[in-house]
Amino acid sequence: MSDTFSYLLMAWLDPGLLGLTALGVLAGIYVGAIPGLSVTMAVSILISFTFSWEINNALALMVGIYVGGVYGGSRTAILLNIPGAPSAVTTAFDGYPLALKGEAGKAIGLSTVMSVIGGLIGVLVLALTAPHLADLALQFAPRDYFLIAVMGLLLVSSLSGKSLARGIFSVALGATIGLVGMDMVTAQPRLTMGSMELLGGIHYVVVMIGLFGVAEAFYQLHNMAKVPVKQNVDKIVPPLNMVLKFLPLSIRTSIIGVVVGALPGTGGDIASLFAYDHAKRSVKNPEVPFGEGAYEGLVAPESANNAAVGGAYVPMLTLGMPGDAVTAVMIGALVIHGLNPGPMLMIETPYMFWFTVGNLALANIFLLFFGLTGIKLFTKIVEVPKAIMIPLILVLCVVGTYSLNSSMTEVYWMLGFGILGYWLKMFGFQMGPIILGVILGPLLDESYRQAMSSVGDSSVDFLLGLVVNPLSLVLTSVIVLVLLGNTPLKGWLYSRFKRR
Amino acid sequence: MTKKIERVQAGEKVFDWLLLLFSIVVLYEAYRIDDGIRLNSAGSFPIGLALIMLGSSLAILFSHRRKQRDPHILTATQEFKVFLHEHFKPHIVVFSIVSMLYLAAIMWTSFYVSTFIFLAAMFIYYRQGKIISSLMIATLAIAVIYVLFTIVFRVYLP
Amino acid sequence: MTKPLFTQLAIAIGSIAVAGGAFADYPERNIQGTIQWGAGGATDNVVRSLTPHVEEVLDTTIVLTNRAGGTGVIGMNHVMRQRPDGYNLLFGAENPQLYPLMGLAEFTYDDMHPINIIGQGLVVIATHPESEFDTFAELLEYAHENPGELKMGGTGAGGLPSTIHAMINSVDDLDVRTVTFGGDGPGVTALLGEHIDFMPLSLSAVAEQIRAGRLKGLAVLGSEELADLPGVPPITDAIPELESFLPWGPFWGVFVHEDTPDDVKATLEDAYEQAVASDGFQEFLTNFGGESLNLNGEEAQQYLDNWQSVTAWSMFEADAVEKSPEELGIPRP
Repeated sequence: MSDTFSYLLMAWLDPGLLGLTALGVLAGIYVGAIPGLSVTMAVSILISFTFSWEINNALALMVGIYVGGVYGGSRTAILLNIPGAPSAVTTAFDGYPLALKGEAGKAIGLSTVMSVIGGLIGVLVLALTAPHLADLALQFAPRDYFLIAVMGLLLVSSLSGKSLARGIFSVALGATIGLVGMDMVTAQPRLTMGSMELLGGIHYVVVMIGLFGVAEAFYQLHNMAKVPVKQNVDKIVPPLNMVLKFLPLSIRTSIIGVVVGALPGTGGDIASLFAYDHAKRSVKNPEVPFGEGAYEGLVAPESANNAAVGGAYVPMLTLGMPGDAVTAVMIGALVIHGLNPGPMLMIETPYMFWFTVGNLALANIFLLFFGLTGIKLFTKIVEVPKAIMIPLILVLCVVGTYSLNSSMTEVYWMLGFGILGYWLKMFGFQMGPIILGVILGPLLDESYRQAMSSVGDSSVDFLLGLVVNPLSLVLTSVIVLVLLGNTPLKGWLYSRFKRR
Repeated sequence: MTKKIERVQAGEKVFDWLLLLFSIVVLYEAYRIDDGIRLNSAGSFPIGLALIMLGSSLAILFSHRRKQRDPHILTATQEFKVFLHEHFKPHIVVFSIVSMLYLAAIMWTSFYVSTFIFLAAMFIYYRQGKIISSLMIATLAIAVIYVLFTIVFRVYLP
Repeated sequence: MTKPLFTQLAIAIGSIAVAGGAFADYPERNIQGTIQWGAGGATDNVVRSLTPHVEEVLDTTIVLTNRAGGTGVIGMNHVMRQRPDGYNLLFGAENPQLYPLMGLAEFTYDDMHPINIIGQGLVVIATHPESEFDTFAELLEYAHENPGELKMGGTGAGGLPSTIHAMINSVDDLDVRTVTFGGDGPGVTALLGEHIDFMPLSLSAVAEQIRAGRLKGLAVLGSEELADLPGVPPITDAIPELESFLPWGPFWGVFVHEDTPDDVKATLEDAYEQAVASDGFQEFLTNFGGESLNLNGEEAQQYLDNWQSVTAWSMFEADAVEKSPEELGIPRP
């Protein structure tokens, strides 16, 4: 017990580790804020950089970057409507309208506090339930991932704004984009139109940067003359009663975040989508409608995506299996440093688990601190005249896209998606469902075909599987309930009949 | 974005027809993957998605029947004019063309040279003059990108 | 460019740094390294732990970029299209040797120059501990009696499991359902959750799971038991005919453009030979479940040719591919 305690506090008491964690968080916020610069990339660079360091020092820096980076994506989402990372896409839905009202300071303040709460809940769940949660995560068979993806598709109703038909079109379009490239099973090219560059598919961050960044730049060109909104930065730290008011929602969405994060096939991006949907369904009367600057729409994804960090560590520390792309790279770092990540890690090097838990908690404390400072400077971005901002946004999008895979072709695609996004936006399509499709499309295809292959291509056995296994039955029932219950499907059908 | 939802915008119908056309092209491409329809193969999902796109674009076109055209627009030529006026403002056209030129230029000059020229040109154009301060801001931006991407992140820019 | 003094100085410093290298003007700037597979994978891990040792020898920085996708076609295509000046390295795995056969691309490693074949991975066929099989022979017997019932984890056409499946099928008959995953990681996760029955995997991906008793080894792909995995029988116990394909394993290598100047190739070959042989890297490789090869020049070419012919012909004989290796000029082993 005393050992556990001393491992937990290791990072808190060693000035070197303390400093590196702080540095990591600070750097992570900026890495996360720039679209295209991802935490995965930063951590892989750090592997070569910290090769000769002691493992604890290297890990402290990486943990800091991870925690800061997941949070950082929300900054640009709120200020410019350009999510810094896919897990911050939903943050833009209500964060950006808040910035347009001059409340960017308050929005960033609230998102910081909620991220920290989410992050700490994630750490708590990791510390208390890791082995059990990992075993639960292993229970998810391909057909369960398929059901999760289907559940994700149902979110289209909360993301598509006024026209459901347009929303459905957008999801299908996004999913089609997600499927471009070499087929996973047969290695056939799909929808590549003979291009070798497209064999590897279109990276979903390229789509995101185009649809949000470039499309936003074009959209802004419409009203060049409009003077940027003066931002009110008097009250950055949200008042206690506000935090308490949103705390129940934050806890609920954090739990969604940590569970989705712990599943090896899903991460913070899907978690934040589910959380946003949950907020929309459970909060009946927000002060401001969702999509127009509801605080609830900010609280939910921000709690969930930071909680997903703790979740992603669950399979990594207990089984040596990655929970997401970042933890996959961290496993590589452990290997290179001569450790053996696997089920024995917790038994042979128990300090590793508790050290990481303590370090994650510490990183969240630093996040609170760094997240609440520098906001005044950050919000100045919104006040930069458009004449300067718009060309800079395009350059940033180019650099961000190029740094993903060093491919100019992807940069052209990015501009293409930007122009497409602009037109779609002009004619009443929403960007959210497209991104939803791009994220879920491959998961849906993969898990469906795994599930079908597992039952020897028999559709009867496939359908039976969805209701026979207890876990699958739970997921299936949720889907059926959502479909029959409070979805707009009912209201939509109803209104259709009424209009006739 | 919410202002004209019940009114057909200029060019909206044409755009929605284009989406229908796009869905058909995707369906054809998806069908070619397997040369047929199978339940569990590379082409199953692409075909399914293309059909969903086809169905929803038909639904979108159908919904136009309930919407009204702007009463001031009577003929196709007029609509075309309104469309040009709304979507092809000089700002937007210049930005689109210059950004395409910029992307093309990256390959045969270099990233930093073309970015500097692009930024400086766009700043001067949008701010209607102010050449010196525009050049200074462009230089500053290049410096920040250089430090952040080339030195810190070691991204090898073209 | 117009600084002769600086150039001379650089040459002077360079010649001191590159111990034993006769051609001192290379490298004079950072080298770009392209990894054919994604971050966190086996190739990535091997390359990232080798690179610091090479950087020390060459006294320069190697900037690593992951350019994954299309079974590595994208990354290789990129490096082949760069200038042949030795400033662009490709870090790849075994897959390109089968590109023409699979119809993925026209090129193979024959179109590049091998700098070093770093090492090869060991392969284990694993199952979950609840499985009724203890050896691969038992599993094979069950599969003979119940064709098309067992679920094998795979990583898609051209992946390691599909190649091994083809090898087995070229001498025996293993009729199973193949469930395809995005890589070793997701496959191991499905195996841990008992959603599939068995999967051929690289030792590096499963060694820890087997050691902890979360997974069970059925066979190692080799003709002898491994010291690291006592009690796991060699696959030749179940199928003696496989002997002719062995030793076989997925490998990792470093490659440059074919037209790179000879002196640059020599400098690189020398540097990589030293780095792979270094104690630090050897220790990593053993721990990682890999076998060191450290081949260059003629030996490397021989290894590549042999690997290609053994694999291509066994896949052809198992009807896993339609194209005949003969058409592509791959000789019979």
